[in-house]
Amino acid sequence: MNELALHVPAVADTAGKCAPGLPSSFCHHHSLSGCVGGNGLFCFGWAVDNFDRYVTPFFRHLEIVGISVVAGFVIAMALVVLSHRYRALAPPVLGFTGVLYTVPSVAFFFLLLPLTGFGLTTAVIPLTAYTLQIIYRNALAGLANVPPGAKDAGRGMGMTAQQLLWRVELPLATPEIIAGLRIATVSTVAIATLAFLAGAGGLGQPLYEQNGFKTNIIIVGALAMGMALALDLVLVLIQRLVTPWRKARTW
Amino acid sequence: MEAPPVAFRKATKRYPGAEQPALRELDLEVSGGEICVFVGPSGCGKTTAMRMVNRMVEITEGDILVGDTSVRERSPSQLRREIGYVIQQIGLFPHRTIADNIATVPRLSGWDRARVDARVEELMGLARIDPALRDRYPAQLSGGQQQRVGVARALAANPGVMLMDEPFGAVDPINREQLQNEFLRLQAEVRKTILFVTHDIDEAIKMGDRIAILRQGGVLAQYATPAELLMAPADDFVEDFVGADRALKRLALTRVRDIDLWEAPLAHVGQATSEVRAKLDGAEVPYALVIDSERRPLGWLSDDDLLRETVPARPDTSPEPTVELDDVMRDALSDLLQAETRYAPVVDADGRIAGVLSVEIVSEFLTSDEALTEEHSAAERAITE
Repeated sequence: MNELALHVPAVADTAGKCAPGLPSSFCHHHSLSGCVGGNGLFCFGWAVDNFDRYVTPFFRHLEIVGISVVAGFVIAMALVVLSHRYRALAPPVLGFTGVLYTVPSVAFFFLLLPLTGFGLTTAVIPLTAYTLQIIYRNALAGLANVPPGAKDAGRGMGMTAQQLLWRVELPLATPEIIAGLRIATVSTVAIATLAFLAGAGGLGQPLYEQNGFKTNIIIVGALAMGMALALDLVLVLIQRLVTPWRKARTW
Repeated sequence: MEAPPVAFRKATKRYPGAEQPALRELDLEVSGGEICVFVGPSGCGKTTAMRMVNRMVEITEGDILVGDTSVRERSPSQLRREIGYVIQQIGLFPHRTIADNIATVPRLSGWDRARVDARVEELMGLARIDPALRDRYPAQLSGGQQQRVGVARALAANPGVMLMDEPFGAVDPINREQLQNEFLRLQAEVRKTILFVTHDIDEAIKMGDRIAILRQGGVLAQYATPAELLMAPADDFVEDFVGADRALKRLALTRVRDIDLWEAPLAHVGQATSEVRAKLDGAEVPYALVIDSERRPLGWLSDDDLLRETVPARPDTSPEPTVELDDVMRDALSDLLQAETRYAPVVDADGRIAGVLSVEIVSEFLTSDEALTEEHSAAERAITE
């Protein structure tokens, strides 16, 4: 029924036990023949039977992403407001968040482990740090693109700097701010698959446990992509909702 | 709010690092309820002068008084809420509806919702904005409509003073003229003290009660009424800036009702042509004009018409173009030239004959200075539309 099933004897013969990447405990419970034993591209039956093992990691993944992006958004926007008031802050903030962005995630986790221990916090801190650069940079670009006439008119009608920021500049920068949020969210969904290294679980956990089993890899990949696309869609809808003045939509 | 005078007291602006001041000891007074136009080439400091009034640009030396109070003693945001502000880019907030844009200053000043709503409605009427546009966004409006909203927004909190920086600069010429006329009509109603910046001398002559011509380096070259400016430019710079066609520009300053018109022999329908022919001898206008019982012109009698027994109800030559007493001379001359005719009947607001305008009258007017001694404020000139 599956072409790849033809390779089963070869895998079984040379290895003599389990295919590489498949936990031996897992192999013991299954015959070496058929889709699963032959590590077929996608074993539908197995996927249906075992789907509940992905539910907890999926929601854990969503939790990690949610916390990281929301925390990143709050911190980045606070930095935006600050550096809008004190212009000299922008270059150092950009530089610092840029450096954070370059730290490899695995190294980041291991650096934090002695401080914050195994668990959610250790995963969320680096993921949050990565979103800062993206959200901050996009928000600054959005503020820079606010029509000068609107700013001049706002000031000329007696808005204070804070009123101008909250009533004119930030609303008009919303499309760019949400664009940054979308990139940050999608990339966080991807990077969060490494969160299990920090002991936080998530979709990386089942992925790693059976990292030679193609069906597993495909399921995890599809769940992560689905999550990324769904979150992206939610953000697009939010943007439409909060920027009714924009006739042209950017997808 | 009562429209206060605005006085510049040796107001000077130096930008850091600039050798020359942008504005040098500007000393002039704008009377309450008048339009003062700042005009001059780019770099003459006209926009700087205007923006110093609401402290969008800070004064380096000297002072500016709005009413009796120095602007330096006011908090900038409070001061600005009391001064209307219109800029060339219009600067409507793209994310706010037309009604919300107009409501900006009242909301900043903490008016309650009912009062804001009532004011928005009133202003949309005053500025002739279609009520259907209330909940649209600025991008959905034409340039001319946006400009009306910009003016309505500036008037929202009923400021006594308005600053207008090339407010009609981004509008095409046809709409510009209409907006200018509308604005003058509006000003006749609201009577604000207006500081108006433009680089277009024609606009300055049309809009200004007084004109301040500035030259490079921020020096005031002349501050005078449009008529004085055209008749007696202070120096070569002003003369050049006003332009070689300044004689023609005077035509825009005077209305037909302000000059002596000619009289044409009048003929009534059914009158004997012999009586009319008798009147034609030695008449100022060598043609007879037929009028109806309401004294409205029906047309000119041709030589053929005069050969008939009685004056016909439909003379050979139409009375067009007719000119109204309230037309400015420039438009009247343009009508004459366009129709390639030497005479045009002048009618009052009810269409009744008031006299005849001839090309000769215009030509005499251009060569005399007499008409220029009369002053007519821009608002007075505008009421008559």
